Amino acid sequence: MLKWWKNKKGVPKDPRVQQNASIHSLIETLKQSKDFTSDHLTGPTDCIVSYIKTIIEPKFLHKSILPVLKSQQLKDLEEIKDHVPVNNIKITDDLEEIRIRIMQGDIMIRMKETDDRALLIPATTVETRKVSIPEVEFSVVGPKEAFVESLDTNINLLRKRLTLPQLTIREVMIGKLTKTRVAVISIEGIANKENLNTVLQRLNAIEYDQIIDSSFLTQMMSDNSNSPFPQFLDTERPDRVTEVLVEGKIAIIVDGSPHALTCPTTIVEFFSASDDYFLPWHLASAFRLIRLFAVIFSVLSTSLYVAVLTHHQEMIPEDMMATIVSSRADIPFPPIMEVLVLELTIELLREAGARLPTKVGQTIGIVGGIVIGTAAVEAGLTSNVLLIITALAALASFTTPVYQIGNTIRLIRFPFLLSAQFWGLVGISMCMSFFIGHLIRLQSIGRPFFAPLYPLRFRDLKDAFIRLPFSLQSKRPMQTRADDSTRFNPNRVQEKRDIDD
Amino acid sequence: MIKPKQSGTQAISENVKVSPTLVFFLIHSMQVGIGILGFERYIVKDAGYDAWVSVLIGGVIMHILIWMIYHILEDSDGDLVSVHNDLFGKFLGGLFSIIFSFYYLLLTLTVIRTFVEVVQVWIFPRLNVWVFTFLFLLLAYYFAAGGFRIVTGMCLFSVILGLPILALKFYPIQYAHLENLFPVIDHTLIEILSATKTVTLSYLGIELLLIYYPFIKKPVSSKKWAHHGVFFTTLLYLVTALVSFIYYSEKGIQGVIWPTISLWKIVEFPFVERFEYVGIALWVYVILPNICLALWAASRVPRRVFHFRQRWVLILYFIILYIASGLLKDREMIDTLNDWTGKIGFYVLLYIPILFIIQKAMKKARKRHA
Repeated sequence: MLKWWKNKKGVPKDPRVQQNASIHSLIETLKQSKDFTSDHLTGPTDCIVSYIKTIIEPKFLHKSILPVLKSQQLKDLEEIKDHVPVNNIKITDDLEEIRIRIMQGDIMIRMKETDDRALLIPATTVETRKVSIPEVEFSVVGPKEAFVESLDTNINLLRKRLTLPQLTIREVMIGKLTKTRVAVISIEGIANKENLNTVLQRLNAIEYDQIIDSSFLTQMMSDNSNSPFPQFLDTERPDRVTEVLVEGKIAIIVDGSPHALTCPTTIVEFFSASDDYFLPWHLASAFRLIRLFAVIFSVLSTSLYVAVLTHHQEMIPEDMMATIVSSRADIPFPPIMEVLVLELTIELLREAGARLPTKVGQTIGIVGGIVIGTAAVEAGLTSNVLLIITALAALASFTTPVYQIGNTIRLIRFPFLLSAQFWGLVGISMCMSFFIGHLIRLQSIGRPFFAPLYPLRFRDLKDAFIRLPFSLQSKRPMQTRADDSTRFNPNRVQEKRDIDD
Repeated sequence: MIKPKQSGTQAISENVKVSPTLVFFLIHSMQVGIGILGFERYIVKDAGYDAWVSVLIGGVIMHILIWMIYHILEDSDGDLVSVHNDLFGKFLGGLFSIIFSFYYLLLTLTVIRTFVEVVQVWIFPRLNVWVFTFLFLLLAYYFAAGGFRIVTGMCLFSVILGLPILALKFYPIQYAHLENLFPVIDHTLIEILSATKTVTLSYLGIELLLIYYPFIKKPVSSKKWAHHGVFFTTLLYLVTALVSFIYYSEKGIQGVIWPTISLWKIVEFPFVERFEYVGIALWVYVILPNICLALWAASRVPRRVFHFRQRWVLILYFIILYIASGLLKDREMIDTLNDWTGKIGFYVLLYIPILFIIQKAMKKARKRHA
């Protein structure tokens, strides 16, 4: 929604152009910085070399450019261009382009201080982290490469997996100040054109001063930005991105962010891990179901506890009654207070653990889990039974393979708790129907988010709650509306040999 | 305020339409609702334990009515409003359509108030009806305001989430007295037919097809699914009735207001007792599409007749429903409401064949003139 009201305000068309009217004033602006260098060479070639020394490669300047300029007399820019042994050199008098390229790390050469024409030689060097193992979406088997903060490295990781001329990379610049490069990646001929257009259109409509991370885009491009459910899948694994690109989805990578976004996505995709494809299908299906059960348990367990103990005590079987009564006998709070205190403690631990360095974080986890938990029970603040339930629920919420949906699950527990307090089981049902309705309404770049459940698509159900063998997945998911929906010819695969052939 | 586009199927864009398969869920989930919780007692009054025959006859009648509705709608290629305008002119036709709108509203009211009654009786005797209905209606509004696609989605999930409840029928079967059913058919045809009339209240819901027909992609191919839906409902009612009959004695069932809920009481799991609480909580999913779909249809009609904004009509109906369900206080009033809805619903169903005949006659007359 941001884009709507931003557009209405009378923002000047391109403020950049108005900042500096000429190349001279641009240089004046740059000279305020200590790291901008402008040398007047008086050797054989009489010219001015200017650059920002912190983002160019000094070795390159000394080895490839200065020797050329100093060894012979070159009269104009064209001559220099012919002699410098570098690709992608440009002569231009377009102020806009000069500005962008200087800021990106080009070396500018002019013949005279007053000249408007300049020669631009790319000499950028960018500091990046080495490609390392994925930490958010770790998997035991399978590739162990994760994206880093450089767009070019990330594209490299994809290109080496998909050596296809059809792998198309479109680039957009977003952010008035940060001018962040955003790459939209898709496979031509498979990805649906309409999806691609939607993505590009939404990217171009974004007006904001900074794009620091891909999560900015998730929020700005979402179909419903008020929803707690993420409508773009966020992944740090190049192999996962490759997989979805082949399915006909579209990936968005932001320069400076180690996470790629993929769309259109569905709710079930958030519960599928890369591991699911590395294991045999029955194991993968079983684990997926366990994960699904864990999520349901995590959302509902504490609210069921509140509902039953507050409103429906009759539901507790006789044998279990003694256990619950004895564990709750000393507790001065109603169930809802008890649950809220414990849930908030666990949330506290999580936040503390997430913000601290790994080693300290682990200690906090142990201290919190064991010491506070036992102490709370012994002090008579919470019951044993609830402690177990809450701890299990917290554990279960960590089983989600995608970090973002884990946050959603953390949050949506609380409305369930409240409704359980008001109307017991009926309240939980009502809350659940609300979320079902919400999920039915949600869309990811215009495609239904709750698919393949609604609209019901049997083809996509083959890879949703369970994962059937690859030989049965002969078509790409309907969700992506892929231009070419066939993965392989099933007839050829199913041609079976006879016994002893 | 922008007026919505004028009538006709052309105005409905492709992305709000639903696939023909979903008609199964639309029909089935609208039919199954509050009626199934307690219809056994009413039908037994007339036909005793031969009432299961009435359930079957009711099902057959519904199939015929579905067939007629499809004929009516196919000929006019629109919805009920365009059929009415076609046959009776703008003024009289509009009036008839508005009557339908009120009927759907009444249906919504009956369902929601009866459900609140069930919750009151079984779970929360001191439930604050005003607050509860407000939130429940708000939920229904959220769905109805999302449009037909969302309402259909809820129908789908209602059927899926409701299916496991069916498995619970296994428990009463363990204590079955099959001899309850014998001798088979010792009631007169009149008695069985009058039980059939009573059972129609439980079968109500197919008449909403008259409104949502233009929202179906390739409506012709949805016919089969509509019939499947009715068939499934009939089957469900038959099983429910038979299970109740073999569990309760013929005298005993007269004293049970909601036999189905009472049957949930005997369900036993090691980890949960008093299963009817779970059953009623799950019944929220079964009830919700009833309310949403009827509310949506009720608010759709004025939009088609007067070209009002549907959202405003929805809000108006929301207020009417809220006040009316709050004012209905005790069991007798709710019983009367159910009675009346059943009667009116019966006449609405009776109206369908009449409409069918009028339309066929008109068509023939017009053909002769042309």
